[in-house]
Amino acid sequence: MSYDDVEIEDMEWNEELGAFTYPCPCGDLFQITKADLKLGEEIARCPSCSLYITVIYNQEDFMDDNKSNRNSKTLSSTKLPQTVTVA
Amino acid sequence: MEEEEEEEREVEEVWSWGAGSEGQLGTGSFDDRHLPQLLSFPPRAAASAARRISQIACGGAHSIALTAGGSVLTWGRGTCGQLGHGDVENCLKPKPVEFFEQIVISYISAGWNHSGFVSDSGSLFTCGDGSFGQLGHGDYESHSSPTRVLFFASKHAKKIACGMRHSLVLSKGPSGLGDFLYAFGSGRRGQLGTSLDSSRKSIAVPQAIHGFKGDEMIAVSANGDHSALLSANGHLYIWGRGFSGTSDSHLPQLLPSSLKFSQVTLGWNHALLLTDCGEVFMLGRMLGGRQESLEMHVPLCSTPSITPDEVCRAMTPTRVPGLDGVKVIDIGAGAEHSALVTENGTIMTWGWGEHGQLGFTVEVGLLLLLEVPAYILKVEESFYEKPNAAIYHPVVKAKGSDLRPPFTICWITGLCHRSRLQPS
Repeated sequence: MSYDDVEIEDMEWNEELGAFTYPCPCGDLFQITKADLKLGEEIARCPSCSLYITVIYNQEDFMDDNKSNRNSKTLSSTKLPQTVTVA
Repeated sequence: MEEEEEEEREVEEVWSWGAGSEGQLGTGSFDDRHLPQLLSFPPRAAASAARRISQIACGGAHSIALTAGGSVLTWGRGTCGQLGHGDVENCLKPKPVEFFEQIVISYISAGWNHSGFVSDSGSLFTCGDGSFGQLGHGDYESHSSPTRVLFFASKHAKKIACGMRHSLVLSKGPSGLGDFLYAFGSGRRGQLGTSLDSSRKSIAVPQAIHGFKGDEMIAVSANGDHSALLSANGHLYIWGRGFSGTSDSHLPQLLPSSLKFSQVTLGWNHALLLTDCGEVFMLGRMLGGRQESLEMHVPLCSTPSITPDEVCRAMTPTRVPGLDGVKVIDIGAGAEHSALVTENGTIMTWGWGEHGQLGFTVEVGLLLLLEVPAYILKVEESFYEKPNAAIYHPVVKAKGSDLRPPFTICWITGLCHRSRLQPS
């Protein structure tokens, strides 16, 4: 059973992992790549445990994203929280 | 010297268990631990009474310990700077935060990837992930060393509670007026207790929360997207993400109950409440828990003929089963698990235990779900005489509610004890 439903705008883009992430209660991160999203995949899994979440998003956003090659920048300007920059 | 150290050993121990993937158990390894592990602190930290541990806070994958003398040790995930060591490295064992060498800290809290520290003079310091404004510095920067929050420069901070992406700060009001509660960080689910206009999903400058009807505020709690406040007269206010799938609340809601609460601790989908009579109640449900079965258990609302409407049910505390005749003195909640300490010093845990966070031996990888509290530690008779046990991480200490996800740190004040495991 899906642990939770999470909107894509509540997920953070993680450059290192190349994936959108969301905190997992095990301490790790649920992850889903842009390629997954483009294919219509809606399950983001945690690499450390048995849990997964359902990602709420509009598939078309990611089809366009690929064509324009603007990647996360397009998204972050509208909905995504800023990525982490450590001072 | 030896004698003194021996004495220390007798009066205090810190145990940890659960997920260890980022070193958050402080055992020196990245392994999960399904059985409680006794931690060793740096010799300096254990050298005197002032170095005794007085509070422990657990974040998403990091831990903070406060000593009676006001110094701070941190360990676990440090990738966002949440350990305050001036770097972004993980740390496998408790390590003193040098920044606070000349500052006496009196209260701590750990969020998903950020940390908060209150000094005895009322200054507030934060570090770690600031990408949602949860550090309160007016921007969205992260910090790897504790940084003073200037908003509170002319105020007197007393307590801080850090959630997944937000923070709450209880601050002393001007004389004659009551205290104030401030919130900052993500407010997507209402956890800031103040209505944000639709274009703003977070705030980086602390904002005052109102609506506590003049009640004297004594404790704050934050975890996941939930927030809660406890008043001196036992009232509980709760806001943020709705429990059991109900709608979010953007303003503090007074829990409609005649019960008098003395502690509150939050998970990601549940709240644990302790009453002044030592009974434990719950809102929401933990992973795999069946809310329905619990609901048949009791009459806890002041009005017996309450309408069975969904929102009302989600705000109606249900008694945790299996605790008849047991007086509880301390409670703690992880993201999806819970723990409590009974008056005779026994620790019980229940909820999600996949990573060992319940402290039982289970087959690795097994998804363990336990709906009823079970004993994990039984202490010696001699310990019963000092019923001031407190556990953290799932657990928590009576006064500060900080518990967190997957790992558990157990803090016990009392005589040295051996643990015995009792199969459930």
